[in-house]
Amino acid sequence: MILLLIALLQVKAPDAAQFVGAPHGVALQGAALERRTMEVASLLRCPVCQGMSVADSPSTVALDMKAQVRELLARGYTEEQILSYFERSYGEFVLLKPKFRGVNALVWVLPLLALLIGVVLVSMKLRKLELVDGD
Amino acid sequence: MNRPVLFIGTAIAAALIAVLFVGLGNDPQQIRSPMIGRPAPAFALKEVGTGQTLDLQALRDTPTIINFWATWCMPCYQEHPVLIDNARLFGSKVQFVGVVFNDDEASIQKFLRERGSAFPTLLDQQGKTAIAYGVGGVPETFFLDRQGIIVAKFSGPMTTDVLQANLEKAIR
Repeated sequence: MILLLIALLQVKAPDAAQFVGAPHGVALQGAALERRTMEVASLLRCPVCQGMSVADSPSTVALDMKAQVRELLARGYTEEQILSYFERSYGEFVLLKPKFRGVNALVWVLPLLALLIGVVLVSMKLRKLELVDGD
Repeated sequence: MNRPVLFIGTAIAAALIAVLFVGLGNDPQQIRSPMIGRPAPAFALKEVGTGQTLDLQALRDTPTIINFWATWCMPCYQEHPVLIDNARLFGSKVQFVGVVFNDDEASIQKFLRERGSAFPTLLDQQGKTAIAYGVGGVPETFFLDRQGIIVAKFSGPMTTDVLQANLEKAIR
């Protein structure tokens, strides 16, 4: 029994502190902890689902990830630190809201660009039609 | 259709076809993990069967294969003999380690009794180790070089060819 206890005490899973350092925020508990857990988990993509967030997915991986988010918030880790921790392991894929940088910026820029081109083309066409009508 | 519209349409279609073409050329199982090139996250986990703790740090200086699996994962049944055969073949040069997540010890012991075992199998409580390695589904396998750096990751059940090709990167 003592040997088992010693073995269990030696068990050490990888810890967020290894990767994102000490907590920068305030340790949460109670209702605030539950609310923030859902908020932060909703920013993370479930790695085995089709476009579902960790907050919404019933998969075991997502449940483990949500439990880890809760634990990190309870230890005082900030949203930014927690997202960095998951991004470090899973890559930017795990973030449901892509960051505005590099190729990802196209996700934000391209729709606006397409809209702008559309407006220009439509206005050019309208102007041409007006000119024809004017004649 | 006027020329500018045709030009813009062609350019957009060409860009989409190029992206599709590049994507189709990728092997979805050879995942480019952000963990590749980084030190493997440290852990010390309980070994199934013996109850002893295996510390990854103790395996420094030995190329290591970490295989994440579970007894509820069907492809893991297919992969298990490949791992056992190769562990017996390369056991003196490479350390194989199994990490089981989201599972119970009794099921793991039954699995290993029935299907054999040739390397330590560790229990990952609450999936924390799997998360630190960026594991999504099982099986997933990480290849570590002598310095403990992750040099390759394979997602899905490995064949002997796949295992040995990745192993070469770890032994190099």
